[in-house]
Amino acid sequence: MATTNLNPRAESYRRSWVIEWLTTVDHKKIGIMYIVNSFLFFFAAGILALVIRSELAIPGLQFLDESTYNQAFTMHGTIMIFLFVVPVLAGFANYIVPLMLGAPDMAFPRINALSFWMLPLGGLLIFSGYLFGGAAAEGWTGYAPLSSNADKFSAGVGTDLWIMGLVFVGTSSILGSVNFITTIFKMRAPGMTIFRMPIFVWTVLVTAILILLATPVLTAGLIALFIDRNYGGSFFDPAAGGNPILWQHLFWFFGHPEVYIVILPAMGVVSEILPVFSRKPLFGYRAFVYATIGIGLLSWSVWAHHMFTTGRVFLPFFAFMTALIAVPTGVKMFNWMATMWRGSITFATPMLFAIGFITMFLIGGISGVILSSPPIDFHLQDTYFVVAHLHYVFFGGSVFGVFAATYFWFPKMFGRRLNEKLGKTHFWIHFIGFNLTFFPMHSLGILGMPRRIADYSPDAGWTIYNLMSTAGAFMIAVSIVPFLINVVATLINGERVGDDPWEANTLEWATTSPPPPYNFDTLPPIRSERPVFDLRHKHDAEQLAIEGTPIGTGERP
Amino acid sequence: MRRTVAANRWRMALRAGLLFAVAMLLGGCLVPREPATTQAETTFSLYILILVMAGIVFVGVEGFIVFSVFRYRRRDDRLPEQIHGNNRIEVIWTIIPTVIVLIIFVFSMGALGTVQAKSPNPAVTVEVDAFQWQWTFRYRDDDNDPNNDYSVTGSAQQPPVMTLPVGQPIRLVLHSLDVIHSFYVPQFLIKEDVVPVPEGTADNELEFTIERAGTYSGQCAEFCGTGHANMAFSIQAMEQADYDAWIAAARAGESPPPAPPPADATVIELNAKNIAFDTDRIEVPAGKPFIIRFTNQEAVPHNVGIYSGGTELFQGENITGPDTTVDYQVPALEVGEYDFLCTIHPTMNGTLVAQ
Amino acid sequence: MSVDAPTSQTADMGPRLEAARPQDNRGLSIPLVGMLLFIASEMMFFGGLFAAYFNARASTPGEWGPPPGAEELSPVPLAAILTVILIASSFTMQFGVWAIRRGDQGKLRMWVGVTLLLGILFLSGQLYDYSQLGFGIGDGIFGTTFYTLTGFHGAHVFGGAVGMTILFARASSGQFSARNHVAVEAISMYWHFVDVVWVALFSIIYFLK
Repeated sequence: MATTNLNPRAESYRRSWVIEWLTTVDHKKIGIMYIVNSFLFFFAAGILALVIRSELAIPGLQFLDESTYNQAFTMHGTIMIFLFVVPVLAGFANYIVPLMLGAPDMAFPRINALSFWMLPLGGLLIFSGYLFGGAAAEGWTGYAPLSSNADKFSAGVGTDLWIMGLVFVGTSSILGSVNFITTIFKMRAPGMTIFRMPIFVWTVLVTAILILLATPVLTAGLIALFIDRNYGGSFFDPAAGGNPILWQHLFWFFGHPEVYIVILPAMGVVSEILPVFSRKPLFGYRAFVYATIGIGLLSWSVWAHHMFTTGRVFLPFFAFMTALIAVPTGVKMFNWMATMWRGSITFATPMLFAIGFITMFLIGGISGVILSSPPIDFHLQDTYFVVAHLHYVFFGGSVFGVFAATYFWFPKMFGRRLNEKLGKTHFWIHFIGFNLTFFPMHSLGILGMPRRIADYSPDAGWTIYNLMSTAGAFMIAVSIVPFLINVVATLINGERVGDDPWEANTLEWATTSPPPPYNFDTLPPIRSERPVFDLRHKHDAEQLAIEGTPIGTGERP
Repeated sequence: MRRTVAANRWRMALRAGLLFAVAMLLGGCLVPREPATTQAETTFSLYILILVMAGIVFVGVEGFIVFSVFRYRRRDDRLPEQIHGNNRIEVIWTIIPTVIVLIIFVFSMGALGTVQAKSPNPAVTVEVDAFQWQWTFRYRDDDNDPNNDYSVTGSAQQPPVMTLPVGQPIRLVLHSLDVIHSFYVPQFLIKEDVVPVPEGTADNELEFTIERAGTYSGQCAEFCGTGHANMAFSIQAMEQADYDAWIAAARAGESPPPAPPPADATVIELNAKNIAFDTDRIEVPAGKPFIIRFTNQEAVPHNVGIYSGGTELFQGENITGPDTTVDYQVPALEVGEYDFLCTIHPTMNGTLVAQ
Repeated sequence: MSVDAPTSQTADMGPRLEAARPQDNRGLSIPLVGMLLFIASEMMFFGGLFAAYFNARASTPGEWGPPPGAEELSPVPLAAILTVILIASSFTMQFGVWAIRRGDQGKLRMWVGVTLLLGILFLSGQLYDYSQLGFGIGDGIFGTTFYTLTGFHGAHVFGGAVGMTILFARASSGQFSARNHVAVEAISMYWHFVDVVWVALFSIIYFLK
């Protein structure tokens, strides 16, 4: 560690930008690398989704054989969840959280860089199965004993590479979460008390705690799986006294908190965007915080609702807890609605995606409550209904949140705003394509189409819904085109919009766009959860202060 | 001013109505097919109850959002009232979803009791062996010797059929020989995983009472490897008397008498005389099982087999005339041309076209 | 690596951020918070392995123990000696921490050296134990869980020993002082944690019937 005190403004020492980015420990650069890396994996997994949907459009095997198909959906699920949704939200958190807290960087900048670089490494390991005789093909859930017995059921190194890649990705998120929690607890600017933190920071905090405690359990399970496959272990081998259901317990003990890991930061994004474009504070800040914590706590007691049909879990308890988790989620939904109520709403692209989030996530939430009822789950488990449900949560929820965040914070990151016309085009094609793809899947599930099948009978009556779904998938793909054009065009020649184009509330808008190294030259006073709003309405606030409560620090539940 | 308010109100009502209509239309695609077992009827009613509640929540919340979006769009630069929250409202809307989910939970537990109830003495117990990628159905009998039980195993060409009586409690003992599978019949609205367990651990069991005769298709619902999509089977439910006759014949080692074919199955007439068929071309619908009503008019044994290239797709039993008739039930064939022939006299052959 | 000299070794904070200096300098320092969180995740990792162990025990019909033909596991003498060694190393580590809190660099170096030696002794003893057991990781569920749990614990001891080596080197070149020794505190926390895991492992594997 250097001990000389250099003037950071001195430009005596310049590196090429490639070296600069490869060796950076700046949270903003790392955040952008996280986001770019995640989008690359998103496109790769998206192409796999198109391949899957093309094969399923009509009965019969047209493009793939069964084993290729199984690899495709396994890679699609694994990459989308572990290398897109989780890291892209971590990327936004990386960029935004220190700014929102008035901190100069993350608590451990070099560990931050390490966490990032493990991601492409893990992702490439997972994908590299394709080079060595086929990728993993047991589904993203990798159920044992299909995945655990390399001699009989899943030969080939694809599954081993999948395990190793996931261990890397998991370690990356554990280190990342240590970093986030420490940053949030120890690096807040003066005045930034815990109940003045933006909701996005709260959701990242709860998410990080979930990652910290859930991911190691998956790692333990993956290691057990690796030992079973390669060293003659028998954790999951019933013939040698093991228990295949153990894998499901370990996987879902991680996997259900994982769902909230994926959705909570997106909820945070929406909770930042709705107030800005409604020109009102978030309704029920504290209730929202408690709901977030409540979801975090409850998420530990619901994992076995993925296992209702195994006949080996205590149904009433898990059904009850699962139903209960709808309550804090419902509270959030009501708070969002009340935030828009009697507001002054503008429909910039971030707001469209945020509204898209709440309308679509609602459907995912409702289908989740339907699935929480064990008798109904006996019918719908492992059918396309579940596929529809999880995509309404992950895609209609998280991915809409990701795009909302992209449009919202792009001006922060680059000082230029994404083109609104292209943005709205993107939104509407995306929104319609999304519903066309995933709504018919509810019907497919109800009619009994199981997930993860490469082919189906023409007599089953599933063809029409599958056709709709495939058409929708291509529509989503088309909607990405204006998005990409928008990003490239804006970076080259976008509209420069100053430091605070949206008239936003939180601290990240109090510095320049893009922010300087170490983020802030000066900080505004932090007296509420909306310091920048307070700054903008200083005079109103002073005026009101004479009469009583200043704006932004009024009654708070 | 007043007129625009009224117009707005109309437009709002129109939009709400549209939303409601869309919701109803969508709801229509969300109802399962007619349930076929007693247990499934319970699940069905529960599902409809929850679906209606879900529909109300959906229309209410989405309606509210759509309303707010249109009603409160920005019209001027005035800052709206800065409302930070309201504790009483928070309490109310914590209680509302709590009550809803509690209602769902209570009804679910009630239904669960019915769906999972085990009868002390099921009329038929079938051992289901699942393996990559087929099923064996073994009908348990009274002598405690599993080796002489009547059993049906599926093949790639012919998925296995489980023949069962209606109106009687049926128990399935689900046993896996390798990985985890899942026994799923959509019209029974139920699935149960078939889990490989260590020796000495109990297998999963599934019980149901079928209400109507008919054919119900099913397939494996837990991803189990390459051939997962091909693990289909069907359940043929028939009246008790028919079932008794069928199982007696099956156990006696006779060929299982035909499970009644689907009422609309195509019947093809085929005759053999003078070591020749009376036609060299048969046309059948593709993708549907059909019946070949084969009549042997001479005292020489004949049969009918169907081949694709060198692969046998179907092989009928030998019959000897004069004037003996048999109904061969042929499984569904994909679109294409096939050969049919008498395997005893390969010169007796022709082309079978499925279209 | 940052060229903006950090004034504390806690994080790369440049001088620009006088304005934005974190408010919360009370309580644990940043690296110790990080280490505690990391230990929390490690607890969940071993929690997962322990869960696997108990699940295997619960679902195994009949006697739980080494496969037929192998000797019963016995806590004495070797395992007990190893336990004593590891517990002792926790004490020597703590003596080192107390020494550097007083600013005594010589004592720190000595105690870290002793701790490192005890750690190596423990690892060698465990490897010897493995060579004497009559079963392997592939011999049934008992062998699988036994070697996985003790093996991953051993890997953590090894990780701790690597940390201890670095501490020893840094202590030798006089890098720690009474005010500045956060690495010593952090690695001692980790070492105590690894020790506690062993005590849990030892009691469960050898004594829980």
